[in-house]
Amino acid sequence: MICSLSLQLRGFLLCAMLIAAPAMAGVTQSVDEQTALVSWKMDDGNFELELTQLLPDQTRAFFLARGFSKEIANRIATACIMQTIGRNITEKSVQGAVDVDLKQWRMLHNGVEKAVKLKEQWDGEWHAGEVSDTARLAFRWATFPTQQDFAPGDFGWGMTSFALPPGRDFDLKVVWSVAGVEKEAWIRGIQCAEER
Amino acid sequence: MKRQVTIHWMLLLLSWSAFAYGEQSLTPYKGAQPAPDFELVDVDGDKHRLSDYRGKPLIINFWATWCPPCREEMPSMNRAWGKVKDDVSMLAINVGEDEDTIFVFSADYPIDFPVLLDQSGEVIRQWPVKGLPTTFVLDGEGNIRYTAVGAREWDDDALLEIVKSL
Repeated sequence: MICSLSLQLRGFLLCAMLIAAPAMAGVTQSVDEQTALVSWKMDDGNFELELTQLLPDQTRAFFLARGFSKEIANRIATACIMQTIGRNITEKSVQGAVDVDLKQWRMLHNGVEKAVKLKEQWDGEWHAGEVSDTARLAFRWATFPTQQDFAPGDFGWGMTSFALPPGRDFDLKVVWSVAGVEKEAWIRGIQCAEER
Repeated sequence: MKRQVTIHWMLLLLSWSAFAYGEQSLTPYKGAQPAPDFELVDVDGDKHRLSDYRGKPLIINFWATWCPPCREEMPSMNRAWGKVKDDVSMLAINVGEDEDTIFVFSADYPIDFPVLLDQSGEVIRQWPVKGLPTTFVLDGEGNIRYTAVGAREWDDDALLEIVKSL
């Protein structure tokens, strides 16, 4: 009887701890068997973020096909571009909007902290006439939104630039908020894809 | 090299599908607000004005052929069209591409509802879109009632019931 009560009590306490515990973001890393490209996935129960390496050749081909010159396509391709997918995985009934603002994210490389390179910064680097309107438009919509609100069930995707040469690695501080409460987590040891 | 890159892109598109769909949800829009009107041509050169679609619920999908989740959800949109075309109108607004590109795309992904061309991006700029694909559901009076950011299985009966009820 005592043992039984004790088990029930332990079960209750464990359950209570799980309910009260703050959401901890878990990070997993995986390698695609076919492409050998590496992905990092972070999940805190509300927000799921996945970063996947893009080969410089993949990115180069994509932007050449959208009308960029070889020089600019190459500049983008060698700036550590990651396919990025963000998703609000909160249950619909909970009604927790996830807000993401890339301006808050920080990357750490060789002990130096810096910001992520935003689509607006890329756009500002291109001189008039250097990039066609069609190419600019494709770049704008193919890159991850600088700021986005995700309702439950929503997700966004796009390329994110970390402005490091191929093969380098860095840590990324991801910042997001759930129903107005700010959260952050570090993804360690992200590797920029090498040229193949 | 070019073939290798193409294969890598195809694999990336294939691996996308594992992540593409989540909960089949539509997000109620902040109050019923009138959608910005537009006039665009479709792939056959015919003009379409948004205000001409009043009287029935309308699904408007902003997309591009190079966008993996857009490609992923397009077959389900076409199946949805087959289910609800008597009660609901549907428009796909392609952002930044031309008829030829869409023609090639539609050989693999048939689209039976109108595909409009927003080649300059003027229309998408006026709509509250942050990323592709984004889909809006309008009521018969032309008000935005729901949004969906990211792909959905559009032929889901429960989801279509919400649209038809507007």
